[in-house]
Amino acid sequence: MTDSTAILLVEDNAMNRDMLVRRLRRAGFSVITAENGQQALDKMRKSMPAIVLMDMNLPVVDGWTASKRARKDDSIAHIPIIALTAHAMDSDKANALRAGCDDYATKPIDFPDLLEKIRKLSTP
Amino acid sequence: MSEKVLTHNQWSEHLLHAVAELRQHFEHNQANLELEQQEDFNKLFAGSQRVDEIRQSSPNADQQHDLMNALAAIKGYSEMLLEDLAGTVPALDDALNQLLKIIHSANSTEPEQTSAATPATVSDPGFILAVDDQPENRELVTRYLSRAGHRVVTAASGEEALSTLAEVDVDVVLLDLVMPGMDGREVLRRIKEHAEWRATPVIIISGRQDMDGIIGCIESGADDYLFKPFNQVLLAARIKAGIERKRWHDLEADYRLQLERREKFIRATFGRYLTDDIVTEILERPEGLDLGGDLRNVTIMMSDIRGFTTLSENLSPANVVRMLNRYLGRMTDIIMSHHGTIDEFIGDAILAVFGAPKQRQDDADSAVRCALEMQAAMAEINAANSAEGLPEIEMGIALNSGDVIAGNIGSERRSKYGFVGHPMNVTARIEGVTGRGELMISSNTLEQLSGDYQMGESREISVRGLQQNLVIHQVLGDSND
Repeated sequence: MTDSTAILLVEDNAMNRDMLVRRLRRAGFSVITAENGQQALDKMRKSMPAIVLMDMNLPVVDGWTASKRARKDDSIAHIPIIALTAHAMDSDKANALRAGCDDYATKPIDFPDLLEKIRKLSTP
Repeated sequence: MSEKVLTHNQWSEHLLHAVAELRQHFEHNQANLELEQQEDFNKLFAGSQRVDEIRQSSPNADQQHDLMNALAAIKGYSEMLLEDLAGTVPALDDALNQLLKIIHSANSTEPEQTSAATPATVSDPGFILAVDDQPENRELVTRYLSRAGHRVVTAASGEEALSTLAEVDVDVVLLDLVMPGMDGREVLRRIKEHAEWRATPVIIISGRQDMDGIIGCIESGADDYLFKPFNQVLLAARIKAGIERKRWHDLEADYRLQLERREKFIRATFGRYLTDDIVTEILERPEGLDLGGDLRNVTIMMSDIRGFTTLSENLSPANVVRMLNRYLGRMTDIIMSHHGTIDEFIGDAILAVFGAPKQRQDDADSAVRCALEMQAAMAEINAANSAEGLPEIEMGIALNSGDVIAGNIGSERRSKYGFVGHPMNVTARIEGVTGRGELMISSNTLEQLSGDYQMGESREISVRGLQQNLVIHQVLGDSND
């Protein structure tokens, strides 16, 4: 029913999604993916992943809106979300945190740093 | 830093050159690489091909995003391969490191990253919805506002504005008053009618001659206005004020949500042990009840079904559970109706306390009346059991009063509102000598009673840890019944 050890990766760009999936799997995680904010919310509710890595610039429903909605849904509000922001603009970080994300990582991803953030958020 | 900055074309050329070199080394060593590593290389090359395609087309915002993603992918594969190869093929290591160096410099030429190119953000960045039927106006507003760090979504008509509002959570709406189809006034009216959108500040944009229109809009809920053609500084100031207003509102809404969630949690946690009115009282008293641990004079109740273990050995597990749930369910209702706090169920045994977390004048009397009602309810429970072919059961109840420590006991991971102290052990001892269908109370409880009860015989029992024997008394019924 739930996959409490999985990472949900939300990324619309196939090239980048593919790369991160391979990298995360190789680091020992099981990974499920979504391509837009709406899919992300559906999969959060269905699979209850341990953590969500969410790109902010997404089609259909963007990452900010999806994060805000996740925070308003009691069934999934507790799942940590790390925002993947396009660039180091302060506005992107601020908006991610304001939308209810727990942390953020700037693209291109500093992978060891991302692993550390995942570790920090997935150990209670 | 500035002397090392490369132009867009320079670094993409550098990058493609480095990839070409990498590919040579890759082809040379391919036979020695694992399948997965070969796949990583091929994905890396696909990324560089995308960079090449983007380089040859005319630049626009979408491609900037695409390029960033392609670079991110190349970087990721390069790093993954470096880790994976762990220095086994030095030539590949060198080529990958070179590639990473170029990507690093490419990223530092992105205008967003250089502080000099970032305009001073006049206000907290926000989501702005700009509604205007004129494309050049939308473009202008978008340019002004994105430069200040805001995210801008545009809508070309009133209808589009409403459907955008339904999808995206915006901070401020910039609304042109004169539009074909649904005009600004109608959009404003619908925003202010909508429960979720009502708090979103709306800034009206209008021609200078339409002062009456603006006054009308402010009367129907618009927050601010701007004349066309608008001044950049004025626009920034109004947007800033609008965002701040929205932030305060959001903060307030968040607090409310948080409070509701907490209250729900408290109700769910305590509701299983406490009556509704106690939970409500805990929530409504601003200082709350001190659940941190304090000494309380309480009356303790322990009950169990006589011979239940032997009885349950002859029943199917499903029947045991059915019988227990009927019994415990009914007992819980009775205990809660007498303001008792159920501490726990241990199999067929019930441990409940009267007088904590909330103390009342007549806790001992409540406990006795509760116990009598529980005994009386056994007839009904046994009738239901017999009807289903289940055996009849009999219960013993013991009451004792004394000072116990009440509080949240346990570890951080698992704790509950519970009780400790010698009176708890004494109660268990009394319960041990209570017979079928009996209610036995200690002298301590008897002293605290103010009601009239029909009393039965008194017995003397010895309790470990007590030098004197304990006198216990049987209660047969309430004299007023």
